[in-house]
Amino acid sequence: MKPLRLILAAGILILCIVILGSCKGHGSDSREVSSDPSVSGEGGFPIRYCPKWQPQAQFAGFYMALEKGFYTQYGLDVQVQKLLPSTEAIDSLLTGSLDIIHIDLLGAILANSEKTRLVNIGQISQRNAMLLIAKKSPKMNSLADFEGKKLGIWRSSSNLITEAFLKEKDISMQLVPIDWSINLFLQGAVDVINAMRYNEYHHMLQAGLKEEDLLIIDLHEMGCRIPDGGLYVRPEFYAEHPEQCKAFLQGTLDGWLYAFSHPEETVDVVIAQMHKAKIRANRAHQTWMLDGMKKNVMPSAAEMGILKREDYQRALKLLQQEMDFPRDMSYEEFYPNGAK
Amino acid sequence: MAQNKTNRSLAYQLISFVLTFMLIIFVISILVTRILYSKIMLDIQLSNMRHLVHERIYLIDGILFKVESLAKMARSVTADYHLSDVEKETMLRTLLLDNPQVHSICLADNVFKGTQPKVMYTVRHRFMQRDVSGLDYRYQDWFQIPHSIGKPYWTEPWVDNQGKGEMVISYSMPLYDKGEITGLLRFDIELKYLQELTTNPSNFRIGTSFLVSSTGTLVAHPDLDLVMNQSLFSLAQEYDEPSLSRLGSAMIAGENGYIKIGGKSPFKNSWIYYQNIMSNRWSVGVSIEESVLMEEVNLILLIQTMTSILIFLLVGIAIYARALSVSRPLKKLAEAADGIGAGDFDAEIPLSDKSQEIVTLAQSFSAMQKSLKGYIQNLRITTEEKNQIRGDVIYASEIQTKLVPSNVEHPLGIKELRAYGILEPAGDIGGDLYDYFMIDEDHFCFVIADVLGKGIVAAMAMTMVSTLLLSIAPYYKKSQELLLELNKFLSRNNIESNFVTALLGIIELSTGILEYSNCGHLPLYIRKMDRSFMKYAHTHSTALGVFENLDIGSDTIQLNTGDEIVLYTDGITEAMNINEEFLGLKGLEEIFSGLPMPNPENTAKSILDQVHEFARGSTHKDDITLLVIDYKHPGIK
Repeated sequence: MKPLRLILAAGILILCIVILGSCKGHGSDSREVSSDPSVSGEGGFPIRYCPKWQPQAQFAGFYMALEKGFYTQYGLDVQVQKLLPSTEAIDSLLTGSLDIIHIDLLGAILANSEKTRLVNIGQISQRNAMLLIAKKSPKMNSLADFEGKKLGIWRSSSNLITEAFLKEKDISMQLVPIDWSINLFLQGAVDVINAMRYNEYHHMLQAGLKEEDLLIIDLHEMGCRIPDGGLYVRPEFYAEHPEQCKAFLQGTLDGWLYAFSHPEETVDVVIAQMHKAKIRANRAHQTWMLDGMKKNVMPSAAEMGILKREDYQRALKLLQQEMDFPRDMSYEEFYPNGAK
Repeated sequence: MAQNKTNRSLAYQLISFVLTFMLIIFVISILVTRILYSKIMLDIQLSNMRHLVHERIYLIDGILFKVESLAKMARSVTADYHLSDVEKETMLRTLLLDNPQVHSICLADNVFKGTQPKVMYTVRHRFMQRDVSGLDYRYQDWFQIPHSIGKPYWTEPWVDNQGKGEMVISYSMPLYDKGEITGLLRFDIELKYLQELTTNPSNFRIGTSFLVSSTGTLVAHPDLDLVMNQSLFSLAQEYDEPSLSRLGSAMIAGENGYIKIGGKSPFKNSWIYYQNIMSNRWSVGVSIEESVLMEEVNLILLIQTMTSILIFLLVGIAIYARALSVSRPLKKLAEAADGIGAGDFDAEIPLSDKSQEIVTLAQSFSAMQKSLKGYIQNLRITTEEKNQIRGDVIYASEIQTKLVPSNVEHPLGIKELRAYGILEPAGDIGGDLYDYFMIDEDHFCFVIADVLGKGIVAAMAMTMVSTLLLSIAPYYKKSQELLLELNKFLSRNNIESNFVTALLGIIELSTGILEYSNCGHLPLYIRKMDRSFMKYAHTHSTALGVFENLDIGSDTIQLNTGDEIVLYTDGITEAMNINEEFLGLKGLEEIFSGLPMPNPENTAKSILDQVHEFARGSTHKDDITLLVIDYKHPGIK
């Protein structure tokens, strides 16, 4: 086992050097759209990718990279795949119908079992935006008041962080699995609901709830410093196409930088994508979301795209302690880029 | 004469005054109209909006209520354990086919015992039924919320992908068996149907209707870009318009009322009336842009403004015409006055006019014209008379001038004497007199007299004195005798009781003895060859013509060769300078001291010149008479 790992690590190292060499020419102007006819999407390396969710500003970097041709510039032909209802992205990745997926860190670590492996090729979101929200009342004033209450919690893998957080804080709640709707909470059918600050929380404000009437528990601020969305591939894919993985990350990050410096244009592009997908869109919400994503994706320019060792260790430890995760995977194995 | 620029015509003044006043009234009137009409129109339009909202609510709530009733009826049937599943489904099928408002029905009974929900709907009036696959439905609002709260629930709009795939709203109610929820029954209404009910044109010609769900989402609105994309709160945020947020809060709280929305949102500058729908706590609103709301007010104001302008013009024209009719006779009067001023006293004055004031003015003017005419006539006669009198006076003056001797070097051919006289009347004729003549071959008589007063009477008296002296002189050799006779005559015939001062002297040429009498006259001076002079101030009686029995004396003086006798009247001594000071005897004597050697002509002219010089600038004027006689001038030898 050990020689195999060494060979793998050496191989990755060599590949990284090659990739670095090949990327040298891009530098700071890498965000500019190339007009070089030799670099075209059609002739590029095909990548089948699926965002975590429907089009919205949460994936603005990806849509702007597509829109501005950054992927093409890096020699990729990115094909957006539509996820079938009731299908987990991880399953599609593992079955080989997707090359790159965008899922949460905890979900990705948890997916690593005896049989399956996922490799992080870039950590997009540097902090989670998870909130637990309740309507304020005399009996609902702090986190401790959550004890025994009904919690509307997503039935997707995004709920892991909430469950782990509650266990860590030793709070027992009645979990009511929900989809994306906040109506259960608005109707009072649940006392507490999980929400992303950049998304569901703003939906609540747009449904007439007032910030001052809400008890908001921010998991990150409560010490649960686990990043969420990142880009994942199968180890085999990474081993075969490390340059393309790097290129995809770079193109996506360029897309985000462009989005943050051109918010109006970005919101236009995102809304156009939403209309194309026939889903509801309003500008105020997408602007709010883009602004929220900036805090998650780019706390500082130096941190963009990197899975920090301490974040990984913290996530792994949380899963091991609170969710009985049995494995002890190394940082380098999970995030080969971190081996440099 | 240049006309003052501030002088404006009567028409201009009337028009500017009246129109300014009217303008103020019109502006006030328009403002008051705008304020009052705005309020009235706002009330009317808000009332219309309320009716429109009621109409919409009546339609929508009617459908919702009907669907609720149908659902409740269906629930009763499904709860009837006597009926088989096939019979229950048949009933639901009939209900669906008979009620086109019901888009689809979902029966999710006994789902917790493994039964899959069934969706029933129609396609072109054909009944369709399909089982719902999977368990995702359990996390949809229509299932999860009424199941959780145990009560019927109207959902927000959603797309039923397991049914016809259209956007619907659903009335979903729990099914119970022995107190336990066994499943749910769902009745769907197509959202498009509600949208049409909301936005279809109304009997009310204004207003935009919209439908807001219980989360503030715009469910129906003529602007399809807003529908299902925006909530009132998202618009409030996007357009930074807090009033939209207030509207959203009020609508989802189930309140009714009006609100004015400003800003730049799709509801900008609009009034909105809103009222909630009882069945599902949604809310219907009607918005009307304020400009539309005020259209009629603006139309009224436009009409009012146009009417005002028309009235302005008509009043202006009327005033102008009236002012012209007033100023025309005034102008004629002015022309007549100019004519009269130029001497045309027969200029016609228009006496008829519509205006009483103008007629009165014209009558006054006519009366003045007549008075002026009479006055001028009298003046003409008087002037003619005066001219005639003046002609007489000039003639009398000529006669008087001829009565005094003409100045020749040797008067009456007498070689022993030289004489020079000056008579300068204050007017055309005077009351002063000087004269000289020979009584016989050796006796030369001279006289100077001053009749009290001036003018015709004085001149007549003077003429009488002159004529009388000439006629009686040959009979008397003594000065006092002559004067006594003269006094008697004057006393008897002096009608005006004028008295006369006179100094009369008789020189015996052979001896040079001067015998003279001074009757109230000024002193006599005799200038000597050495330029000294003698003053003889003693009078021998009072003035003549007052007392008939007057006693008159006389004196004699021996004249020496070259002696110059200077006689004068009070015109000399009472000459007045600019400071109203008389020349007096003292002044005359000062003149004497500056005179050259005796020579009657030079002496008389020098005295007269210096008296004139003294009196320069003074308005006082009296007759001036001077007579200077010298005796046996050395030059003669």
